[in-house]
Amino acid sequence: MPFLNLNNVQMDILKETSNIGMGHAATALSQMIGHPVKLRVPHVTITEISKVPEYLGGAEKMMVGITLQVLGDARGSIMLLFPQESAHRLLCNLIGDQGKVLIMNEVTISALKEVGNILASAYLSALGSMLHKTLIPSVPLLAYDMAGAVVDYVLIDLSKSSDLAMLVETDFIGESSSDLAIKGHFFLIPDPSTLDMFLDAAGEYQ
Amino acid sequence: MSEQVSIAEARIDRAPTVLKAYGLGSCVAVALYDPETRLGGMGHMLLPDRPSSSPLGSESKYVDVGICQIVDQLVRIGANRDTLVAKIAGGANMFETSYQTLINSVGARNAKSARRTLVALDIPIVGEEVGGNRGRTVEFDLATGKMLVYCAHTEHPVSL
Repeated sequence: MPFLNLNNVQMDILKETSNIGMGHAATALSQMIGHPVKLRVPHVTITEISKVPEYLGGAEKMMVGITLQVLGDARGSIMLLFPQESAHRLLCNLIGDQGKVLIMNEVTISALKEVGNILASAYLSALGSMLHKTLIPSVPLLAYDMAGAVVDYVLIDLSKSSDLAMLVETDFIGESSSDLAIKGHFFLIPDPSTLDMFLDAAGEYQ
Repeated sequence: MSEQVSIAEARIDRAPTVLKAYGLGSCVAVALYDPETRLGGMGHMLLPDRPSSSPLGSESKYVDVGICQIVDQLVRIGANRDTLVAKIAGGANMFETSYQTLINSVGARNAKSARRTLVALDIPIVGEEVGGNRGRTVEFDLATGKMLVYCAHTEHPVSL
């Protein structure tokens, strides 16, 4: 089913399942960094592929992108995007003081990939148990570059079957109010056949 | 004056316009230019070839038909088909240890399709900045036919 034809109820289903999935992901992330983190899904957006880089804050904005393939009963891909300031804050929380700027090395890359792995696994397992499907994430891959360059990888995949993309925007909120918010974008890019299956299964919950 | 060329778009213009494509990863930017009339165009393409059955979206989404479309439009507004030259940028593989091999990555296939299409049209490729694993921003100046390619991790642009 093309995203364009989704009605409000179906959009709500997608938003709610994403909220639940992200809730599980938040718990996992909290355990990893040792203090509570809340995740919120404020927006589920469906937009034209060509508008996605602008939606992310501009094609030249520096971002860390972590991508995983969804394997198992459903097919698709996941892309997690952190603006570089947010990736930096996330790393400070995870592995201690990082200095003033984001530096990519073996340790930081590995830590960020692990965050991607945990978020995607928790999200997929919550989604899978809700839909009675087995969803498995692949090994995560990472790129640190301009937003446009990082996302066109998934947009290309998507553009074979759709001219629209679905974005789930996620806010990560730390415990203390002084914490500057860590923002992230989460794309779930289901294959068209997978989206149908997804909505059918989710619809049974109504 | 500068004009942005977004994903799956193509633009045709004349000097002194500067055509810009921001944040190319696996996508390619193909620029065509007629130095005599200083007419030119650039496409920001996603996929190497348009499928023969039920293609989706505009022609400028696909490298092969996208290039042909730009050439046709340039000729229509008065460019000389025989003096057209081409420059290509992009076609990177952003995620290094990708599931696909480097040769088969979509970025490499996009660049290959651009070369193949231009050779078939007998349009010389006078500049190339493709491949690798870095994102690129491209500025194509129709006053001079020069293409500047900026990378996020390096300070100075490459001039084609």
